[in-house]
Formats: sequence, structure tokens, C-alpha cells
Amino acid sequence: MSRTRRHGSSVVAFTALSLGLVGAMVAGVALGAVSVAPGEVLGALLRAVTGTAGGLSDTLVVGVRLPRVVMAALVGAALAGAGALYQALFRNPLADPYILGVSSGAGLGAMIAFVATAGATVLRFGAVPLAAFAGAMLTMLLVVRLASTRGRLDPTSLLLAGVALSYTLAAVTSFLMVVSREQMSAIVYWMMGGFSQASWPYIGMIAPMFVLGAILPLLSTRELNLMLLGDERAGHLGLSVERFKLLMLASASLMTAAAVAVAGLIGFVGLMVPHMARIVLGPDHRRLLPASLIAGAIVLVLADLVARTIIAPIEIPVGIVTAVLGGPFFIWLLVRGERR
Amino acid sequence: MTAEKLFAYSSASVGYGATTIVSDASLAVHAGEVVGLVGPNGAGKSTLLRAVTGDADLLGGTLSLAGVDSGALSALQRARLVGVVPQQVTAAFSVEAREFVTMGRHPHLARFAVPGERDREVVERAMRLTDTLHLAEKPTDELSGGDLQRLALAQALAQEPRLLLLDEPTSHLDLNHRLQVLDLVRELARDEGIGVLAVFHDLDLAARYSDRIAVVASGTVTPAEVPARAITTATVREVFGVRAVVGVDPVTGTVSVTPVLRDGAVAPVARGRVLVIGGSGCGSQLMRRLVLAGWDVTAGALNAGDADQVLAEALGVDYAHIPPFAPMDPESVRRVAALAVSADAIVVSDVPFGHGNVENLRIAVEHAESGTPVVLLGEIEGRDYTEGAAADLWARARAAGAEGAADVDAAQLLLEAANSR
Repeated sequence: MSRTRRHGSSVVAFTALSLGLVGAMVAGVALGAVSVAPGEVLGALLRAVTGTAGGLSDTLVVGVRLPRVVMAALVGAALAGAGALYQALFRNPLADPYILGVSSGAGLGAMIAFVATAGATVLRFGAVPLAAFAGAMLTMLLVVRLASTRGRLDPTSLLLAGVALSYTLAAVTSFLMVVSREQMSAIVYWMMGGFSQASWPYIGMIAPMFVLGAILPLLSTRELNLMLLGDERAGHLGLSVERFKLLMLASASLMTAAAVAVAGLIGFVGLMVPHMARIVLGPDHRRLLPASLIAGAIVLVLADLVARTIIAPIEIPVGIVTAVLGGPFFIWLLVRGERR
Repeated sequence: MTAEKLFAYSSASVGYGATTIVSDASLAVHAGEVVGLVGPNGAGKSTLLRAVTGDADLLGGTLSLAGVDSGALSALQRARLVGVVPQQVTAAFSVEAREFVTMGRHPHLARFAVPGERDREVVERAMRLTDTLHLAEKPTDELSGGDLQRLALAQALAQEPRLLLLDEPTSHLDLNHRLQVLDLVRELARDEGIGVLAVFHDLDLAARYSDRIAVVASGTVTPAEVPARAITTATVREVFGVRAVVGVDPVTGTVSVTPVLRDGAVAPVARGRVLVIGGSGCGSQLMRRLVLAGWDVTAGALNAGDADQVLAEALGVDYAHIPPFAPMDPESVRRVAALAVSADAIVVSDVPFGHGNVENLRIAVEHAESGTPVVLLGEIEGRDYTEGAAADLWARARAAGAEGAADVDAAQLLLEAANSR
């Protein structure tokens, strides 16, 4: 596979990403209020697999830390994957689930299900993630509709419509929060984003959504590359553009909904991670998309680790960490890119 | 023509949404044929191409591609049949040029397949033909517009299309690459039986590289004809509002268009009628200038093929026609005399006079003597090939009050002065 010289080698990049993910996850499990030695982490995992788990540290590793790390990884991958897709489909470097209003749509959907079914226990029955997906997809279609004039999508209008709708939906969400007082604190915590509620059932709920959302785009990287040429050229080269866009938007919305349903609103990952991957590996989606998924997982696992350890025992919302670390890093990448 | 019909609009209307841009268009492209589309900006040339790929709408009539109704083809099936080179090629992202061209293999690749040996060969060949192999490793966002345009052609060729749609395929190319790309297109048509439908802005290039040309203007399309019939003084004036010399380029042997003046540039004043005595190109500048200044220009006897005769045709100037190299016959003398009678002024250019054309001068002199304003350009010395007859006539004219002008500017001023009296 050829690649431009300016971009890094695939083998090196993917080896580094895989090692990085394993390392981040091990660190995520090992570190915390009570630290567990990496060797002990592996031992606990082994005992869990063989069904001989018993001790307190085994419970901590398998029952508390591991689900949290796995969920952070899934959510990070989902947000970054969705961001990469939105950026490809709209050929807009600023597109991400947050700015397009999709996260807010998913959030409102989740919130309505949350309030209507009176509590977090319903999460297990899937009402919240389904409502989140419905909210995400409806918002996406509405934003695209608002930003299109006679079949043409205006990139500026897309962002404006996304931001405007995002505020409106957030207002509705806040209103719902205020009127459902008894669940307010739970909702507030969920909205700020985080993984403190992480558990295996939650993972069982969103993992299928994530896989369903990621599989089609991963199998369509050649078509995503055609989209780089613009809708018209992609059509000339044999892509049924409208159908493809709809499928990819649905995939991205599914991933966004999966992330928002369990982790609330976490910004910056969907915007930042695909850009990092693009700067390192170039715009070829055969590498960009898988790299974004893995890098997104790494970023959120590490961000969550920081969120729960930096001023332990107090846990700060992970969205604060992604914003504080992501903002300056992103600016650094931009400045570096311009200087070259 | 027995070649397969690869492309056919039949009574087609195309446009965008509710807006029809071209209607009742019937146009066919056969295998091995290059069909050119010419016409003014905004006439709908591009729209006719864009409707093929669904980028504009087919609002009525039918479009068939290789005998199949276009609506029955999926985007993928169409892409195996039709390659498009757009007017504007942009690549605001950085992939290697070879990767860019390989994207053209998409319609031939199975769903999850990676490009194989044959795909690489097709890409290699497309890049060799378009002279882009040396760019293969370059990132597309560092290439010039001309490089991108040739890469877009390579990308279209990688589709192995049976029909190529080219929208101004050479607009960003230098002279050498322009000819190279069009030569290539011609060869592909001739050697591989590809049908080509190409939009041209340059009429000379259209005539040089097209087998047939259709003119798109006033919301419709003329039937495609060989260049010499499609591009004439009359069509250029009607369609573009430009008076042009349309001839055959002696070197390439193809139709060549030299614009003389825009109708819009003619001064909107009526100045009266002037008869120009010219020949051998000596009256050309005068005729062009006087038409531009608003005069109703006529010309004396001109031999067919003479530069002034060609220009008179281009300008739509009335003149007495005589065969090539023939002297004036009584018929042409009567004709010039009649033109002189209806003229408000006469101007004699610095044409050499021989026995064949001295009658032109005699008529001018007679009218000078009967009071018509006459302007004489230059001196007679050195261009009298009539053993003094022309010089005598010249002297008679001066004696009758004809004014001398040193150059075309002076002649024009004198005519205008005479006209305002």
C-alpha cells in the first residue's frame, strides 16, 4: 500500500496504537485510590477467566475497574469514529458529534427515556440507548435538512444549524432536568459525562450498538475515500452518494448514541482524535478510521484515569479533562501544522 | 455510421429542478467518435454533460447510454461505462497521485477487494498516457491545476470507460499539454473505439479535435455536423455575436476562427454609407475600423480568396465578387458603380493598381468629379502597375477635390468630417 512520504508508516503507527491501548487499559485498571500491581491485574484477569476469582483485589479489578476501563475505551472509540465519519461525509474539519448537535440530540433522547421510565434501572432494558439513537438520528437529519438548499449542503450552514440546534436541545434538556427534581443529581452527573456508573450490563448494552455502528464504516473505507473527492466525483466513480451518506450517518449516530447513553456528553474526543490521526497518518480512511477508533479509546481511558486520580478521592467529570488536555494539544497541532 | 451508439439524448430537456436550461436536445455519440459541444457561457453545455451523471436533472425526453436508458443504470454500472473529467478539479486533501488515480478503479473492484495486478496495470497505463507517471508519489494537495486536470483524466481512464465526458478538459493546461491531452483523446477514440463528448470554449480546438460539432445556444442544441459546416461566419456571429474570419488553417487543414470584432463593440451611431476600394488586404484595416465606427461599409471588386474578400464576408460587408486572380469583368464594374452611387463617401486604400482592378479606381474618380467626398490613402507612387493610367486617375481625383490621408486614422477623420457636412 503506497502512502505519501509526509505520513507515518502504517505498521509503526498501528503497533504503537495497539500497545498504547493495552498499556492505557492496564494502567487504567491498575491505578486508582487503591493501586494494584500490573502483575496482579493480569492474575486477577486470569482467575476471572478460569472462574477462580475470589479476593478483594479480584473484585476491584474485574467488578469495578475493568468495566470502567472497557466502557471508557468503547465510548472513546465510538466518539472518535463518529467524528471521523462526520468529517469525511461533510468534508468539514470542524464536524463532530458535539458541534453538529447529534450529541445533544442523543442526550435529549436519552433524557426523555430516563425521565419517562423513572430511573437508571431502565437502562438495562435498552429504552435509553434506543431513545438516544432516535434523538441522534433525528437531529442529524434535521441539521442536514436545515443546512441544505436545493440538494446542496453548505458547510457553514451545517455548523451553524448544528450549533443552534445544539443550544435549543440543551435548553430542553435543562428544562426536563429542572422539572424532574427527584432525579436531578443523577441526571446532572450523567450530563457532565463520566464512567462512574460503569458496569458489565451497561457494556453489554452499548457494545452491540458500537459494533453495529463501526462495522459498516470499517468495511466502507474505500467509499469513504471517494467522498474526499466531493459528492459529484464520488458519484462519477460509481458511488450511490445519497444512500451511502445516509448509511454512514446512521452508523455515526449509532456510535454517538451508544456513547451518550452511558457516558453523557463528553466533548472534544470526536473532533480532536480524528485530526490527530489525520495529521500522523494522512486522510486515507483505510488507516484513518481504525486509527481513530483505537486512539479514541486510548484518549478516553487515559482521560478517565486522570479524572478519578488527579484530586482523589474526588472524581472530576471526564469531559473537563478532555477539554483541558484536548484544547491546548489541538492548538499545538494546528500551529505545528502551519509552521511546516 | 455503423459504429455503436454509446450516447444518445432524444428530445431531452435538462436543467436544475424546475429550471430548464436546454430543451429538445437530440445528440448522439458513436463509438470511436469525438463530438464537440460549443456555445456561449451559460448556454447549457456543461448542464448537458452533468445530466448524464445525475449532477443536473433530465427533465424530459430520454438519455440512453450504450443502448440502455440512463435511469435504469446504477451509479456503479454507469461508472463502468462513463468516465467524466470535470471542469474544476480540486484535491484539498493529501493522497499520493497514484492513489488518486487508483480511485478510478472503484467501479471495477468487488465490494471488499483490494486493487490487484490488473488494476495496477490499468492505473500505470492511464498515468503513462496522461504523462503523469512522474507525479505518482506526489501528494495531490501540492500539485498544480494542470497536473490535477491530467490526473483527473487518468482517473477517468482508469475506469476503462466506453464513453468519456470532458468538460473543458484543457482549461488549466499549457499549450503543450493541451495539445497532448487532446491528441490522446483523439487516439483513444480512434484506436480503442471510445466515444467522446467534449465541451470546448476554444472554437479552433473544437474544430481541430472533433469529428462533429453541436452548437448549444438559445436553450437548444443544433444537430452535430462536421466542423466546417458547424462553425461558419454565420454561426459564430449568430451564436457569439462576434464577426469572425472563419477559414481553413493552411497548416493544420482544420477550421480556424479569427475574431474580427464584437457586434457589441460597433458604435451605436448611423454614419452613412462608405465604399472602400481595397484588395490584397490593403482595405482590411479600413473596413474593420469603419464598421466599428458605425459606418455602413461596402467594398469594391474583390477576388475570391483575397484577404479583403475574406474579411468582407466576415464583416457582412456588401461587395462585388470576382473569381480568384481574375480581372474585373463588366458585371463587376456595374456592381461597383452601383455601390458607388449609393455611397455617401468613398475611400481608396493603398492597394496596388493593375489592369485587373484599375476600374475600381476609375469609378471612384468619376464620383469624385461628380461631387462625392473621396479620400485617398497614401500616394500612388510605387503601386501603379498600369503604365501610368492609375497615376493619371489619381491626379484627376486630387484635382476634383479628393483629399489625401497619410494613414487609416487620418482617412477615418476625413470621412467623418465629410459625413458631418
